[in-house]
Amino acid sequence: MNRRELLAAGFAAGLGALCVGIYAGTQRAKPIDSTALFALSLPNEAGKLQSLGQWRGKVLVVNFWATWCAPCREEMPEFIRAQSRYGPQGLQFVGIAVDDADKVERFAKELGLNYPALIGGYGAVELSKTLGNRLAALPFTIVLDRQGSIFLTQLGPIKPNQLQSIIDKLM
Amino acid sequence: MDCQPTSTGSLPKPPQPPDGRRVPVVLMLAALATGAVAQPLPLAPDKAFRFDARALSPQSIEARFSIVDGYYLYRDRIHFSVEPVSVPATVSALPPGKTKDDPFFGKVETYRGQVIVNIALKGTVPGQKVIVVAESQGCADVGICYPVQMQRVTVSLPAANVAPTRPDATPRKLWFE
Repeated sequence: MNRRELLAAGFAAGLGALCVGIYAGTQRAKPIDSTALFALSLPNEAGKLQSLGQWRGKVLVVNFWATWCAPCREEMPEFIRAQSRYGPQGLQFVGIAVDDADKVERFAKELGLNYPALIGGYGAVELSKTLGNRLAALPFTIVLDRQGSIFLTQLGPIKPNQLQSIIDKLM
Repeated sequence: MDCQPTSTGSLPKPPQPPDGRRVPVVLMLAALATGAVAQPLPLAPDKAFRFDARALSPQSIEARFSIVDGYYLYRDRIHFSVEPVSVPATVSALPPGKTKDDPFFGKVETYRGQVIVNIALKGTVPGQKVIVVAESQGCADVGICYPVQMQRVTVSLPAANVAPTRPDATPRKLWFE
């Protein structure tokens, strides 16, 4: 293969990479303001209000999920492993449950959840729509870098290799 | 940037220039390198789980979910009701679904394809309009779930000895629309 074809392959690979996970980061019609996200306060399982602003400066992974969403539950063990491994270096997962507190508490205990599970209730879906979740489906994840800028929004599960790629880029 | 999705599991067919240059190989290598098989965009829930209702007689309605391939509904999250609430309505039992084991909820039943129930009404008069309300919750095989959806269809009950009317809902789309 000559140099011209190599360059064309590289360009096509970059274009293809953008097409992968086609509904990742392409949903929003206008830029999402992370200020609104950091201003958000929601109760945790114990009922204590938690502001997302307390995690500014971290690589923050905000994950909208629910116990009634099997794909959501299936990706969480990988989040737990990543939180354990990279938490000391500044990675922070925060789950926002579109769910009842008692179901969240039961599931969190069963799973050994090691990151905050905030209770958004069923209204949290509307909240996620303002953050780019046009289909209002789950799981929906927003990743912010240490500067507080939105790096990625994604509808659908985040596979382990994608999660590692995100961590490698931002940590 | 908008990327055109390709069908899942297959590589895009490369273009064939008339002079047979090696551009097709380049595109195939790029596709292999990235695994660039884009996922189709998920449907909005009212498109994935289309709900319809039609009168079978002045006292009977057929309610139907038409579920697009690649999507499924949970049996225990489907509920029907009729408005106005003053109209007594009896919904037939939901048919059995396909059972699967959910690690958190235990045995659950799901539906694919079509789900049909009959709703028997009492005390209605010919020409009366009722609203059938369907509550449902489902997911897509690509790995997303939708919250509970409410869909409503207005049904005009026919006069006695008149053929069942078409539903008053949005007209059924033709396949090419």
